[in-house]
Amino acid sequence: MNGVRILVIATFFVFVLMTPVVVASGNDSYYIFDNELQVNEGITIETSIHIEVVEVKRIPLERAKFRITSYQRPERMITVFKEDGPQANRYETYSGASIYLDVIGVYSDSVQFRVSGPSNWRVTDYYDVDPEEGGGEVDEAVTVPKLKITRTLDISSVQQGQTAKVTFKIKNDGNGTASEIELDEPTIKGAYREGCPTTLDDIAAGATERVSYDLKIVDVEPGTYELNPTLLNYKSESGTSYSSESSSNVLVIVAEEVLAPELEIKLTIESDDDVIICGERFSVTVRIDNTGNATTGRITVKSHLPDDVRVAGGEIDPVYESIKPGDYEEYEVTMIAYEPGKHVIKMDVLWADEEASASAEFWAERSGFDKYYIYILAAIPIVLILLWLIKRRREYSF
Amino acid sequence: MLNILILGLGQCGNRVLDAVNHEAFGSGGTFAKYYSRQKFPASVKTIAINTAINDLKGLTDTRAKDRFHVPHLHGVGANRALGKKVFDDNKEQIMSEIDKRGSFELIFIITSAAGGSGSSFAPLLVKELKKAYNAQIICIAVLPFREEGSIFLQNTAFCIRELVAESPNGILLVDNQYLKKYAGDIKSAYDKINISVARRVLFLIEALNSEMLMVTDLGDLKTVMNGGIGIGTMGYYEAGKDGTIKSAILGSFKPSGLLFPANVYNEGARAMLIIKGDKKYLDLDLITKTVEELSTDVGQVFKGVLIKKGRPKVLSLFTLNSVPELENLYAAAADAIRFEMDKREQSKKQLDDAFAHIDELEPIY
Ligand SMILES: Nc1nc2c(ncn2[C@@H]2O[C@H](COP(=O)(O)OP(=O)(O)O)[C@@H](O)[C@H]2O)c(=O)[nH]1
Repeated sequence: MNGVRILVIATFFVFVLMTPVVVASGNDSYYIFDNELQVNEGITIETSIHIEVVEVKRIPLERAKFRITSYQRPERMITVFKEDGPQANRYETYSGASIYLDVIGVYSDSVQFRVSGPSNWRVTDYYDVDPEEGGGEVDEAVTVPKLKITRTLDISSVQQGQTAKVTFKIKNDGNGTASEIELDEPTIKGAYREGCPTTLDDIAAGATERVSYDLKIVDVEPGTYELNPTLLNYKSESGTSYSSESSSNVLVIVAEEVLAPELEIKLTIESDDDVIICGERFSVTVRIDNTGNATTGRITVKSHLPDDVRVAGGEIDPVYESIKPGDYEEYEVTMIAYEPGKHVIKMDVLWADEEASASAEFWAERSGFDKYYIYILAAIPIVLILLWLIKRRREYSF
Repeated sequence: MLNILILGLGQCGNRVLDAVNHEAFGSGGTFAKYYSRQKFPASVKTIAINTAINDLKGLTDTRAKDRFHVPHLHGVGANRALGKKVFDDNKEQIMSEIDKRGSFELIFIITSAAGGSGSSFAPLLVKELKKAYNAQIICIAVLPFREEGSIFLQNTAFCIRELVAESPNGILLVDNQYLKKYAGDIKSAYDKINISVARRVLFLIEALNSEMLMVTDLGDLKTVMNGGIGIGTMGYYEAGKDGTIKSAILGSFKPSGLLFPANVYNEGARAMLIIKGDKKYLDLDLITKTVEELSTDVGQVFKGVLIKKGRPKVLSLFTLNSVPELENLYAAAADAIRFEMDKREQSKKQLDDAFAHIDELEPIY
């Protein structure tokens, strides 16, 4: 309870103290320093605060690294990004007054920046940093972490509604522990990250850390997406900021697969050239294939036969309880067609609210005997007459 | 119904019989036998008998089972002596073949008098049939063309004599020579003669079998055939468009319709007239009157009237008191025989003379 109160009071005081400064620097644009400095150049403010440009970088973001030392304070490295804003980078002096660093522009080996602070404060000295002196000082203390991040997805193609597991493998190739590791993971619109950390525990030099999260594809248009690189921001023990990024990944999102059985029915008439002899039996094989990806429920078959076609053997309209995907049912029916001509047999297979049908065609012809029946009938009297004539002739031939 | 047997002997007899069978089919022509039945006016059985199988084979309208072959190689030629022997040898078979066909009241024997088989069989058959059946037997004898040679003349002479000797109920003559006028060539003359004979025979049978008004019967036939010398012939006349029944009756006595040349008015002994035709033509009074007129010249005339569709047709059948033409034939035959005998004697003498050359000689080897 006391701690909380003290913190509130402290925050209050800070607020009260800072307010005129902020107003002064914000509204009056009171800058203690507003100029360009080369790398390894420094300024002294009020004879006790030293600000040196350690390095400038323009890629990937324009930034400059400053070393700030002052009375009764440890040396601090501060990296200021161009876009950070005028009050983002604060440095508190021993007296309690703060100065703010704001980078205006970064060039190949110089940086234009502003230092704002108490309005009575002045730059008291410009100086060049002796690299030996500065470097020597730093050498003993600085250890550098170097994180290498690789991102892998367990599948390259995800269906709508499915989840891809994204794994980061982060290895510290440097010689110092990486701390304050921030992980900035981009995402795809319509996909949600589940359990994706934004900060990571410190990674000691040489250690490898694996972190993973689930990328849930909820409502992403099917297509090929590029997953932008993951950005890692971290610091060395000395407080220097570093960053690294992974390579980008490609993720294909396919339409959601609907699970449903699909039946196909096929009729095969066993005959030569699909010609059937009237009155003779022929067999028809019916095959029902489940070409879908789910097991069916109850299946019924309904046949449509021409009027003169009768079933002579076998069940023509069987019922099946189910057919597994990729599986099939087959049965044979014996039929007889009585009239000559073209016939079409149609069969429907019904399941759930769906149906499929197939039809088969065949020609029925009268048998050899049937075909010539009429001629035989006509020939009988002729033959009888002939026989009669022959008989008569024989009666009269001696 | 009358039971009638018609026998055709030898080639001539066979062929006339075949014509009878053909005519019995009616107007159907050659092919009638394939679809029609013979319509005999009575119960008629026919048998063609021959020693020459080729003659039997040549027949067309006689059933095969009604053709009886008397086996003798190549026939008998014109040799009546051989013919008689062959008949004797086969008498039983011939008679049993006839017997198979039942019993008869009237038998016709048709034969040529000139040939070998028929002319030799006929008299012998008359004898056998008389023994076996109580039937009237009428022989129809065909006389040869005179130019056919002396053997045919001889045969005819002897055949007729033998026939008369066996005394059938009658002999009706058909004279090829006389009927030669029918056609130019022999073949068609034969056909015409055969058909004429056949039609007359069938007409006669019809009349005998009918039960119509003014019918003639077997008794009448017998009486007619008994007249004169028992030899006669037949005449026929078919009335023209406007002909009266009288002219038709008289027409049937005219020489043009006769099968043998005779002068009925002079030589006729008895006659039978059969008149057939539509009722409208048949004026019975006129018929009776005409017949009565004829009777004064011809002698007894029997008449029968058949009412049948068509124009009046008249068949006349009669016996003669004298047969001058037959006498002529006999004279010619005698001449021929004598000539043959002389020739043979002469030839024999010539041969003997020739042989005389080697009398009392022996062959030397
Ligand atoms: N009318 C007529 N006479 C025939 C016929 N065939 C042969 N002739 C005559 O019959 C005589 C010969 O007798 P044929 O019957 O042939 O001898 P056969 O067979 O030995 O009795 C000859 O006078 C022929 O002119 C015929 O078809 N019709």
